[in-house]
Amino acid sequence: MIAPGERFPDLDLPDHTGRARRLSELAGGDPVALLFSRGWWCPKEQRHLREVTALQEELEVAYARIVVVSVDAPEVQSAFRAGLGARFTFLSDAERKWLARLDLLEESDTTHEPYRPTAFTLFPDLTIHRRYDGFWYLGRPTNEDLRQDLRAISAGLREDFER
Amino acid sequence: MVDPRCLDGEPVAGAYAHVCALADDEAALPYDQPEVQQVRRDALAWWIPLLGDALVCLTTFALDESRCAGAVTVLREPVRLDDDPFARLFSPTLVRTDIFCAVPPPAGPVLERYAGVAWPGGRFEPDNRS
Repeated sequence: MIAPGERFPDLDLPDHTGRARRLSELAGGDPVALLFSRGWWCPKEQRHLREVTALQEELEVAYARIVVVSVDAPEVQSAFRAGLGARFTFLSDAERKWLARLDLLEESDTTHEPYRPTAFTLFPDLTIHRRYDGFWYLGRPTNEDLRQDLRAISAGLREDFER
Repeated sequence: MVDPRCLDGEPVAGAYAHVCALADDEAALPYDQPEVQQVRRDALAWWIPLLGDALVCLTTFALDESRCAGAVTVLREPVRLDDDPFARLFSPTLVRTDIFCAVPPPAGPVLERYAGVAWPGGRFEPDNRS
């Protein structure tokens, strides 16, 4: 199991426009909230990503990133992202390239073969700060959880965070 | 100033630069002004996705630490030009160019600039934890 303190793999996947991206490039030197999501069809994902999208108002001025990974195709992600009003990046693993390697298969859904909802907060170098297992909805991070994690990571990164 | 990554690499020959700017200091707007913030939100939300593979790079023009003089979106083909959100603030002109390089689009949702660099460029120093 991928655990805090380990370096998260530098995912190489197409984004919601189909453009090849790397997770390290998306981090761009900032803390990251990395969310693995089942897909657009799941009511729990719709609910949770609506909440996370509300956090972008804060992160757009806080030098922190949000990245969502799902097995939806890029064009589906693009439509879902637009419906959410999201301004962050979705990565598409429609080919299930990383699913087994990350050991994040949602075994109970044999129809879609999606990711098991799991969230990580990461340092810019992709070191894992915290992991959330979200098979049960309440296991997922709230926006306050994410805010506290990103604050803790930022405090460790920015020498002038506390004067 | 532009995002320096746009000029650092292999230039894309025969590209189209949609320049939204005015050669007049008085036309510049503060980056912090709401309409300048909203244009950047629109670029992240739908302008860049609409452009898809046509996008070469996008950069605002930073006059100094606080003022934005416009933006340029560089394209492989002259598509969706009427949708350019920066044209709401600065008059657009289309020119051919051979000087701009391909740059990955901004990841979002960050709108703030890094140490005065033209958005969406810049970053803080690499992770320096011991």
